[in-house]
This record gives sequence, structure tokens and C-alpha cells, in this order.
Amino acid sequence: MMKHWMFNCKEVSQVVSESMDRGLPIHHRIFVHMHLLMCKYCARFRRQLLLIREVCRSEKVVPGESEDTRVLPQDACDRIKQSLQKSS
Amino acid sequence: MDPQKPACDNSSIDPEVWVDRHGDYLYRFALARIKDSSVAEDLVQETFLAALGARKNFESRSVVRTWLTAILKHKIVDHFRKYSREQVAENIETIGDSIDSLFDNNGQWRIKPAKWTINPMKIYEQREFLSVLYKCLAKLPERLAKAFMLREMEGLSTEEICKALEISATNSWVMLYRARMQLRGCLEINWLNSDGSETK
Repeated sequence: MMKHWMFNCKEVSQVVSESMDRGLPIHHRIFVHMHLLMCKYCARFRRQLLLIREVCRSEKVVPGESEDTRVLPQDACDRIKQSLQKSS
Repeated sequence: MDPQKPACDNSSIDPEVWVDRHGDYLYRFALARIKDSSVAEDLVQETFLAALGARKNFESRSVVRTWLTAILKHKIVDHFRKYSREQVAENIETIGDSIDSLFDNNGQWRIKPAKWTINPMKIYEQREFLSVLYKCLAKLPERLAKAFMLREMEGLSTEEICKALEISATNSWVMLYRARMQLRGCLEINWLNSDGSETK
């Protein structure tokens, strides 16, 4: 790892995280972009945060899975309906 | 993605119809993150009960399934949090609790982020990742986990999170940063190590 322009890795990690929650000033975006081009660890870090976001927001049962045929067992289904009736 | 009925149709607010329409999906969603099928059943039940209690707040603002899934995600984290408190020998390790320890004095990575690979064809690998992700979320301090889940699972804006947690915007960015650092570190040591194929 070399020294990179303007931001060090610790600062970049913070700015990368913030960039996921708000728009950044243009000069921050440029400095981070430059750093990410040169630093594979920070680039990797950013990809991982984005992957975590993607997985967390997904409503798929498993991200790459198309076939899962397991069903809620009938007794559990009945039990849940009964508890809903009791509570409503 | 399964076809979904529009949220405005009357049956979508009938809890028993929810069970018929979304029960299997929620069960599979829980099972992919929690291996124990009876726990998965219980969490699905808790999800429907919580949804019933909060039905008035729902107001068709999103599709029912999205709403139910968000509730279930919280239930899964709550389950692991409770479980890890009860189990003294929980095998989830944490790293990055102190962000300073991850970097040297010059602000360079001291513990470099390792390469992650999730093979989309390997369902087992993905299930393992999901399971560790939820266990790691449960290991975060509660407020950090809450902020993280509102942002990354439910997609709330910073403003909405500030209102929900009664914090400043700056505070929310700091909390989200800390949550992401801890979660990433926890995933790295617990998921990659469990896989055994990638340590660098």
C-alpha cells in the first residue's frame, strides 16, 4: 500500500460509507475516486459494503436461488391462523 | 419474483389471507437464515402477529410482502441476539469494534480487507453467508444494529432514521459507518473462515 493523494485509507473508508447515505461534495468524490483507482483494498472494501447492502435489501429467499419448494407445514399454518384469530 | 396482488385489494389486509399467500415464502426466507425449522415457524408466527398489531399503520404504503419481510428480518436478528445472550459459547467472533485498530498510525489498512467470493451457483455458500450476516447483525450494539437495519434493510433515508432514533444527521452517518465496519469485519472472520477457502 502506498500513500495516496489527499485521503488515507481510514478517511476513505469513512467517506465511502457516507457516500452511501448522502451526496458528497464534488471534491470529496474526486479524491475518493482517485484513491479507489489506486488502492485495491479500499476498492474491495467499497464493493463489499455495496454487496452487503444488496443482500440486506433483497427480498429473495436466497440471492441466486430460483427453486425452493419447502412449504410452511400444515400444522404450523393452522397454529398461526388460530393465534391470529385469538389476537384479532 | 412471485406474482403479488396489489396492496390495495381488500383481502391483502385479512391476516388469514396473509398466511395463505405469504406463509410459505416467509418460512423459506427464515429457513435460509435459521437452520432450525421450528424456530423458523415460530418467527413466521411472530411476524404475522406483529403485522396484525401494526395493521393500522400499514396503510398500503408498500406491498404486503415487502412489509412482512421487513418485520421478519427484524425478528431474525432479535432471535440471534437473544440466542447469543443465552449461549455463553457463541462462536461468532467480532473484529473492528475499535475502528482505530484496523488502521495504522498513517491511516493505512493494518488488517487489509480480504477478497470475498460468493458463488451464485453455490446455494449452500449463500445460505452460510446469510446466516452469518444475521448472526453478526445480532452482535452489533443494539442502537447501531437498529440504525443499520433501518438504512440497509428497509432503505429509510437519513432524515427518517434521525427521527426514529432521535439523533443528528452527523450522528447517523457516524453510527452507520461504525455499524458497517463492525459488520464487515465480523462477516470476514466468521464467514470466510467457516468457508475455509479464502483467507486472503
